[in-house]
Amino acid sequence: MEQLLERILATVEKPSRYVGGEWNSISKKWDQAEVKMAFAFPDVYEVGMSHLGMQILYKVVNDRPDALMERVFAPWVDMEEKMRAAGLPLFSLESRRPLAEFDVVGFTLQYEMSFTNILNMLDMAGIPMRSSDRKGDNPLVIAGGPCGFNPEPLAPFIDAFVLGEGEEVINAVLDVYLAQKQQQCSRRDTLSALAGVEGIYVPAFYQFEYKQDGTVKEFKSDSHVPPVVKKRVVVDVNDVPFPTRPIVPHTDVVHDRMMLEVMRGCTRGCRFCQAGTIYRPVREKDPENLLAQAEELVRSTGWDEISLTSLSSSDYSGISEVIGGLVDRYSSERINVALPSLRADAFSVELAKEVQRVRRSSLTFAPEAGTQRLRDVINKGVTEENLMEAVTSAFKAGWSSVKLYFMIGLPSETEADLEGIVSLARRVLEAGRNISRSKGRLRVTVSASSFVPKSHTPFQWEPQDSLIELQEKQRFLKQRIKGKGLTFNWHEGQVSMLEADLARGNRDLAPVLERAWALGCRFDGWSECFDFSKWEKAFECFGIKPGDYALRRYSHEDVLPWDHLDAGVSKKYLTLEHKRALDGVPTVDCRGGKCPGCGICPSLEINTQLVGGKSVEPVQDLL
Amino acid sequence: MLNLYRICYKKVGPMRYISHLDLLRTMERGSRRARLPLAFTQGFNPHPRISFAAPLPVGVQGEDEYMDLELESPMQAPVLVERLNTCLPYGLEILEAREVKGAAPSLMGMVEQATYAAVTIRPADINEKSLISSIKAFMEQQEVIIDKKTKKGTKAKDIRPGIVKLSGDSKEDRLFIYMTLKTGSRENVRPEEVLRALVKGYLPLNVEEFRITRTGLYAAGERTLFAEF
Repeated sequence: MEQLLERILATVEKPSRYVGGEWNSISKKWDQAEVKMAFAFPDVYEVGMSHLGMQILYKVVNDRPDALMERVFAPWVDMEEKMRAAGLPLFSLESRRPLAEFDVVGFTLQYEMSFTNILNMLDMAGIPMRSSDRKGDNPLVIAGGPCGFNPEPLAPFIDAFVLGEGEEVINAVLDVYLAQKQQQCSRRDTLSALAGVEGIYVPAFYQFEYKQDGTVKEFKSDSHVPPVVKKRVVVDVNDVPFPTRPIVPHTDVVHDRMMLEVMRGCTRGCRFCQAGTIYRPVREKDPENLLAQAEELVRSTGWDEISLTSLSSSDYSGISEVIGGLVDRYSSERINVALPSLRADAFSVELAKEVQRVRRSSLTFAPEAGTQRLRDVINKGVTEENLMEAVTSAFKAGWSSVKLYFMIGLPSETEADLEGIVSLARRVLEAGRNISRSKGRLRVTVSASSFVPKSHTPFQWEPQDSLIELQEKQRFLKQRIKGKGLTFNWHEGQVSMLEADLARGNRDLAPVLERAWALGCRFDGWSECFDFSKWEKAFECFGIKPGDYALRRYSHEDVLPWDHLDAGVSKKYLTLEHKRALDGVPTVDCRGGKCPGCGICPSLEINTQLVGGKSVEPVQDLL
Repeated sequence: MLNLYRICYKKVGPMRYISHLDLLRTMERGSRRARLPLAFTQGFNPHPRISFAAPLPVGVQGEDEYMDLELESPMQAPVLVERLNTCLPYGLEILEAREVKGAAPSLMGMVEQATYAAVTIRPADINEKSLISSIKAFMEQQEVIIDKKTKKGTKAKDIRPGIVKLSGDSKEDRLFIYMTLKTGSRENVRPEEVLRALVKGYLPLNVEEFRITRTGLYAAGERTLFAEF
């Protein structure tokens, strides 16, 4: 295999994707590990290596003396072609062992458009694609991540899904696996034992019958498994393993810097946002803990930038203290601090000013909608004033380039909201012209993504706009957002539609996925690979078409395809939030001290954890 | 006061697959892990002062590679070697460091030629004698025109003047080709360009199956890059 691989590596693009050997990567002795797990990222190396979750699990599993974890990424199309031609199976980076020789293969589900890559990786590994076809010596195939909250389109392919945060539950999974292995239990017994672990969903034990509209007609779960699976969360984020010796890639990956996670969760409650629900409640890490972890990261990696990551880092209570501490300690070593997610207000720009001595990159803000009315509908607690203050302060501080993120196709959107995007962009440009000292380089970039309704959000019942509507809206904006200093970017509507189909779909989409893969779909999130006609053909084979799930409106009374998977926020609360959205009524952020009653804390028996031991008293049930 | 060190290292094993840019990053990160007092460039976007002799093509290993590294404060060369070696990934190894005293010419400006060894499995129909005669015939050409890929399509290039020496031999089932090629900013011939030309009509072999090693980098007159100081 080695020689064959060497020959192939000489002929593919970016061979360093496939060779491993990076600093801090761990190669344990194969025979000394009782359980061998592969972490499988269904995208290329550069994307997968930018994922903090992988580094966390890599540490957790490799810290166990009885286990090892190795990595595998989706081979790029050139590598796949060469490997298939040579009969080379998919292999891990560390020991170059075939994936099929591992005990457990764990896929991460970060975005729907990577689903065909999962099937392709199973196929390249020679692991039977369907769970029901796997035998005793085939690896256990598990998956987790955000898309695990509606994993139904993948249900036949995955043995067990992990709901929620993985750093604790992964140990439970490996323990169960080891106990079952020692007792030489059957595959089915192992799955049954796994189904008894909180946060584990074994789809084979749940049966569905669907109505014509895709909602659930009848749902049965086997008697030995819980009818509803609840997500797992880490109770104390200060007392959980954090990868302070992460793998440092040689090659330029998407996020090529230290990742220091400052908190889990976000309480802003934007109504389109799935992460806002599934990572609740907010749990902040102590600044002291963060500074200690930063020191370890700096010494163990050699990276020159620390990114303070979370869903909304400027909301973190200790942000000024942490930034101050990092700048004091590391600026003499030319180590920068980066803030990847900035709230659109003057405070955030102040933070950015502190960390970015050099205004080389642009600042990005996400007002999401063009009018106050629509921002109230989506509960985006940002006003036009906030945004104008933010950009004014940014231009004054020397930035000459600003990016604005919007979403089109949001529920209740009208032409006035699109006009709002245009006028906001022009106002920002105007402010730049009045203030900026480098007018020649002044640039306002507007990016419009298409709204994708997601499970476990107040908009889970809402249909997506049709492709024609989305394209018309894109055209509307394209015609108006142009001229000197203005740039307009948009996302391919067809991709957003398929994303919504998969995000809101049920098990009937599994054969469609399988067919799409067979027709050659891979890397569907990459424009150079995406081929909508193949997807159309795949849907057609089963008498449906793309958009059938995306464009449906579900009713509050319907049983949704993911209702058996509980993210901790009650459906009652989501229903109330949906109604408030349509009435344009905003909801408070529980950071302010008032609990809006989402149900997460009582449901998971956990509390919001803020810096300094502060918390928020949950109301038991507002509804 | 300039604390400049000229460093000889090897880049082998898995490291031969990382690009020149990746190597720069890896050396910088290794130096940071080793807590070397790196000197940085001035300006808005400071970079550590590290420079290399000649980029190695991806896939080719190097046993005698050179870089210059500038520090803010002086350090004993052997200490530098030891500290850096504990912080570099497998496949990168510092062999020697020497302090550059006075004004040494830049590495990039000094490099004139490089030696390479390429090895492959010897097919049954080639023996050492036929290998040598093929190489001889190849070298008797007045010009060796290859199609060189550029940003705008391909361009014809004569690599013959850049081939200083070419020889070969065979040990057991292996076949070796040794090359001395012009390297650097004035004239540059890559080893796989020579192999590609050689297999076309002279030696029926597959270029992809060669493993290539750069065995030496030299200044004019075949002096080593440590020569000037």
